[in-house]
Amino acid sequence: MTNIPKKPPPSYLVTIGIPFAILFTLFSFQRVGFNIQDFTENLANRAIVTDPLFNPKWSWAWENTADALVETVQIAILASIVGCAFALPLSFYASRATNLNKYSYFLYKSFLNLVRTIPDLFWAMLFTVAVGIGPFAGVLALIMFSLAIMGKLLSETIDSIDPGPMEAAKATGSTHNQTVFTSALPQVLPNFTAYFLYIFELCIRASVILGLVGAGGVGRIIETQRIFLRFDRISPIIVIILVVVILIEQFSVWIRKRIL
Amino acid sequence: MNIPKQPLSHKILKYTLTSVIIFASLWSAAGLEITIERIIDAPRQIGILVGAMFPLDTSQEAFDRIIPKVFESLFIAWAGTVIGAIFSFPVSFLAAHNVAVGAVSRITKQILNAIRAFPELILAFVFLPITGLGAFTGTLALGIHSIGTLGKLSSEVIEGIDEGPLEAIKSSGGSKINELIFGVIPQVMPTITSYWLYRFEINLRASAVLGVIGAGGVGQELINQLRFRDFPRAGTVLICTIVLVLIADAISASIRNRIIKGKVVKS
Repeated sequence: MTNIPKKPPPSYLVTIGIPFAILFTLFSFQRVGFNIQDFTENLANRAIVTDPLFNPKWSWAWENTADALVETVQIAILASIVGCAFALPLSFYASRATNLNKYSYFLYKSFLNLVRTIPDLFWAMLFTVAVGIGPFAGVLALIMFSLAIMGKLLSETIDSIDPGPMEAAKATGSTHNQTVFTSALPQVLPNFTAYFLYIFELCIRASVILGLVGAGGVGRIIETQRIFLRFDRISPIIVIILVVVILIEQFSVWIRKRIL
Repeated sequence: MNIPKQPLSHKILKYTLTSVIIFASLWSAAGLEITIERIIDAPRQIGILVGAMFPLDTSQEAFDRIIPKVFESLFIAWAGTVIGAIFSFPVSFLAAHNVAVGAVSRITKQILNAIRAFPELILAFVFLPITGLGAFTGTLALGIHSIGTLGKLSSEVIEGIDEGPLEAIKSSGGSKINELIFGVIPQVMPTITSYWLYRFEINLRASAVLGVIGAGGVGQELINQLRFRDFPRAGTVLICTIVLVLIADAISASIRNRIIKGKVVKS
């Protein structure tokens, strides 16, 4: 018989982690009040929402939501452009490859992490209180949102760039800033464009719900119709947004193929 | 010295892109009635709000109210992710074209796309009349949405596997089921587990938001305090949320790192 090597003992991650995860799962389900019996008993109530939801009133939606939809798109455009524009320099400061100062690297990285911890709707709530109800608050909220995502994605991309061109630039005697501009920036610009389109799509999705807290866009209509349980008026909005998102997705796939 | 000129098509592309971006921003800003004065005034107004939050409300009563809500968000996110993980795992095999038959894979993929189309908040609207106001509603909304996203990501992982081990199992007489258990699952498990954790991080933020419509979690607390203009307490809610998300993110990220990169061998 051949000698089969012994299986290595499982790591601590498995021996402690998995039982802990299972316990935590059970505890979570208990705490959120998971109750399959209640669920099946009240399942018929779904009709309140789903019946109108699947009987969309298209004519009403065409007449009343056009302005709000345009507002949603405008919020997304402005926020993703401004947010990504701010994120571009910040990402270079928040990457080990381009920021040689350990402390300022840490500072920028922590700043981006901090912005990322706060959910988009929280930003929207805070800005509606600060600058008043309306789309301006929504734009500010989504600027923070896109800044955080772009900062994370781009700074990680910069971390993994090819150091060759930077060394070459340094060898010709260029300063650090020149090196970054001529050798690091061109390497990540295609990624930047691809991320930008992705973030634009996320912003469109997110700007739908901003209106729930009064930060403008089509969510305002969703919120007012929801209170009256008029889901037949909400579902066309969802479908329209979905179509817009799919179109952007297709467009960004096409662009990404060309530039990457 | 001869420096090669930039090709003309490049220049044209550059200028068109720049003008499109500038035009789109101006059009949006005009449509949203964002004026220079409002932009200049915004930092001051934000400063006032932040100033009003300090000193934070650190009374015992505030923490007694806020901490359970923050943890509720954590439980909602975890339970939702587990629901998503359990259901999306088998579904992702059905959606992968190299495991399932062509037609099955296409149909499953379309179903997953349809699920993903509904934002969590809209799903929460659907569940509100069934499960009432509370954490269970948020859990189900997050769970269903996670099935869509995790199913898509996991099926893509399965589609990207190395076919070699499968062939080896086939040639040693293994059945189709053997192929799945010994060929596919060991290859995809690390990546899929890390996607689960990644989804948990996203769900944690989403669950904080769900409270706005009464589906449990810390969002309710924040919007209430802001409505009652109790800014110090709103600040406490915010700080507690940030701390929780930071800690959960750090733990989740380190586990993901360990799963993907393997044990760091000390030399």
